[in-house]
Amino acid sequence: MLVLVLGDLHIPHRCNSVPSRFKKLLVPGKIQHILCTGNLCTKESFDYLKTLASDVHVVRGDFDENMNYPEQKVVTVGQFRIGLCHGHQVVPWGDNESLAMVQRQLDVDILISGHTHKFEAFEHEGKFYINPGSATGSYNPLDSSVVPSFVILDIQQSTVVAYVYKLVNNDVKVERIEYRKS
Amino acid sequence: MPATPQLSPQEEQEKLLEEAIGVVKNQAFQMKRCLDKGKLMDGLKHASTMLGELRTSLLSPKSYYELYMAISDELRHLEMYLVEEFQKGRKVADLYELVQYAGNIVPRLYLLITVGVVYIKSNELSRRDILKDLVEMCRGVQHPLRGLFLRNYLLQCTKNVLPDNNDDATGGENESGNVQDSVDFIQLNFAEMNKLWVRMQHQGHSRDRERREQERRELRILVGTNLVRLSQLECIDMERFKKNVLPGVLEQVVNCKDPISQEYLMECVIQVFPDDNHLQCLSAFLRACADLHPNVNVKNIIIALIDRLASFAQSEEGNGIPSDIQLFDIFSQQIAQVIQNRPDMPPEDIVALQVALMNLALKCYPDKVEYVDKVLETTEDIFNRLNLDHLEHGAAVSKELMKLMKIPIDTYNSILTVLELQHFGAMFEYFDYKGRKLMSCFIINNILENETCIPTQEQVDLILNIVNCLVQDQNDQPEEIDDPEDFAEEQGLMGRFIHLLYSEDPNQQFLILNMARKHFGSGGDQRIKFTLPPIVFAACRLANRYVDLKEEDENWEKKCQKIFQFVHQTIGALIKAELAEIPLRLFLQGAVTAGGIEFENHETVAYEFMSQAFSIYEEEISDSKAQLAAITLIIATLEQMSCFGEENHEPLRTQCALAASKLLKKPDQCRGVSICSHLFWSGKNSKGEEMRDGKRVSDCLKKGLKIANQCMDSSVQVQLFVELLNHYIYFFEKGCDQISIQVLNQIITKIQEHLPNLEANEETDQINKHFKNTVEHLQMKKEIGDTEVSFAGLTI
Repeated sequence: MLVLVLGDLHIPHRCNSVPSRFKKLLVPGKIQHILCTGNLCTKESFDYLKTLASDVHVVRGDFDENMNYPEQKVVTVGQFRIGLCHGHQVVPWGDNESLAMVQRQLDVDILISGHTHKFEAFEHEGKFYINPGSATGSYNPLDSSVVPSFVILDIQQSTVVAYVYKLVNNDVKVERIEYRKS
Repeated sequence: MPATPQLSPQEEQEKLLEEAIGVVKNQAFQMKRCLDKGKLMDGLKHASTMLGELRTSLLSPKSYYELYMAISDELRHLEMYLVEEFQKGRKVADLYELVQYAGNIVPRLYLLITVGVVYIKSNELSRRDILKDLVEMCRGVQHPLRGLFLRNYLLQCTKNVLPDNNDDATGGENESGNVQDSVDFIQLNFAEMNKLWVRMQHQGHSRDRERREQERRELRILVGTNLVRLSQLECIDMERFKKNVLPGVLEQVVNCKDPISQEYLMECVIQVFPDDNHLQCLSAFLRACADLHPNVNVKNIIIALIDRLASFAQSEEGNGIPSDIQLFDIFSQQIAQVIQNRPDMPPEDIVALQVALMNLALKCYPDKVEYVDKVLETTEDIFNRLNLDHLEHGAAVSKELMKLMKIPIDTYNSILTVLELQHFGAMFEYFDYKGRKLMSCFIINNILENETCIPTQEQVDLILNIVNCLVQDQNDQPEEIDDPEDFAEEQGLMGRFIHLLYSEDPNQQFLILNMARKHFGSGGDQRIKFTLPPIVFAACRLANRYVDLKEEDENWEKKCQKIFQFVHQTIGALIKAELAEIPLRLFLQGAVTAGGIEFENHETVAYEFMSQAFSIYEEEISDSKAQLAAITLIIATLEQMSCFGEENHEPLRTQCALAASKLLKKPDQCRGVSICSHLFWSGKNSKGEEMRDGKRVSDCLKKGLKIANQCMDSSVQVQLFVELLNHYIYFFEKGCDQISIQVLNQIITKIQEHLPNLEANEETDQINKHFKNTVEHLQMKKEIGDTEVSFAGLTI
């Protein structure tokens, strides 16, 4: 089961489009679910995700005007409960312990958040945390070296393999991180 | 008397044809029997009777063709027999004389051709005279249908015997003839056939015109075959083609003054002769085009030629267009002549010609931008002359003009090259609102697809003037407003486009942004919502670029200051458009950006931006949910910043705490003040040191507890207790000494008391799990015995 995790596109506020190298990788029909951390900003970006997979979940980012996106969401994929939250509401931003508070509240195995535009994947107290970064590598005033990135999760029974795709000097680099549910 | 059943015209034709074919079969059978027995004279008599069937005037061209095919099949037997006979030694000359006495002219000429060709085959020396003789004698049949087929028979039979050599024929020595004799022969036959064909048009009743023209079209290939035959002569060199072949053909075509004939034959000429010949005789051909009948669709003819030459220029075997042939100039002049000769030519056809010319320019001379420009200029002149304006979208001429304008965009795939065309932008004025909009979107999409960066303010100015209908309101736009989704999509395009306004030189970049701001700023409240935020972010990015230039540019601080003034003013324009959410967030982003760049005034600028965000919060945001979201964002942003000295940080954090406690709903207040606690812990001064004010953290959380206690809804209340417990644990783990194990125990006890009283539902379930997860976390911490803080005394 393949799950695409991405967010913080910020089109058109901060970027003109998803990098073409990424677009070539993201083809319809391979991905079952999309979990988006928000800041799609326009309907066109949402429609683009819809062309990749029919099951798209989006939470609201600080620059999303669509009031229908929830602040938080829990999606169950296979044996995993996955929590989704943009992260601008979690103070301090990107703080592990603060994110752990959200994880405990949502009662999830994996917590996905965004906002920092920086890819992260780590295990903390037996739970898995993922931040897919910004798929467009869009501007963040707190970080001058944003690298475009997204994550694909391959979920098989009690194992998740996260593949992170980063665009470094116009080359796509892939890393693999595995997490096993205890 | 029984009435004879009325036959339909088609049935009538079938019946007539069937009868005729019956006769042919019968006579052919007799003919072959006689020939088998060696009775040549009797055989010829039957052949003549068979050929007599071709004298009919009752058959339609289609039926006549079938009859002709059946008969010419049978004549092949006769020909074969004669060839054999002559090889055996029979005298040919006698026979040639003999068949001239056949009673009727049609059979007589068919027989004469058959025998004549056999004669040539057996004795080449007489070839030239016999060919001349035959083609002259065919004049004897002047009925168009019969004449056309007779001459077609002549052309078919002589196919393999035409002289194709360059032997000098002067002095009458060479009786077998040379290629010029063949040219003369074919051209005469061609001219005669064309005359017959044209004459068909003027026969019969005028009400049958349509049917007659249809019949003529069915017969055209008979005439065209002459040109095919000409093109098959190998010994025609360029010189001869130029002098003796093409002029004759064109003269015949032009002089016949018949549209159907001209249209077909000109296309034939283009198709049958090689590219090189066209290149060498371009002017002659195009001059002839200008002289064609007004009803001829000359546009299609010229376009066909241009397309052919353009693909020749691009093909691999072609070495391109020879440099001595000014292909573009020739076409350009001749097309102008054609247009001048035809005052009634519809404007869409005129533009279609320019489309072909533009294709030619781009395919044959890809580097010559001036040729493309010339086409645009000519088009503009023509539009001015014809007083064309505001071309209605969907009209033929508008469609053609769109096609014309899209060619350079699609070919260059770089708007910067398109901008070199002096007459490109001006042509936009001829479209109506909808046409301009479609073209503008086409341009912007092309820029986005190719990610073409626009590197100077002048170019930005040019493009934004061209696509002006996407930038601001137009005088001619319709009353009803656009579909909101379409509008958002189109303005979204413009927003994306702004990120491609980019120069490597930061000073130029600032000019670019000012130019963009000037254009987009006049877009009205609906548009700036989409277009100004990208400008704000582009400006923030630009400010960051100056950080890297500190060493090289001594004015970098002043420039940063200017950029933030620009940002401030741009966000201000959004507030004037009665927007609140977006400007508030932009001020926060601007504050963080300014705070992170250490130019002289950065603290003041950051403070101004933060206080602006507060003003919007206080004055413009009234919805309680939006208020909580906004204050959370302000607090979270301030927590991250490390540019404020105490004198500025104090009022900001106090303001945050105050705003949080003044939220309308109790649960919102509770959550607001809990989040505020972080400001007093990890909030930073201008040295980057964290506050670590445990007292104030504790005060915030205590206030949170107090507010939670006031909540009426017990479910919400317990939820808030669990959340507060988590905040307490957070700071306890961070080593905040104002928070004791006793406080944790108290809250845990409180939750444990209240939880069982809650109604069993999904919400309670969630609170239970939240609490259970929190307790498990504490248990784990207690067990592993954290080094920094002790969990001893925790009762769980």
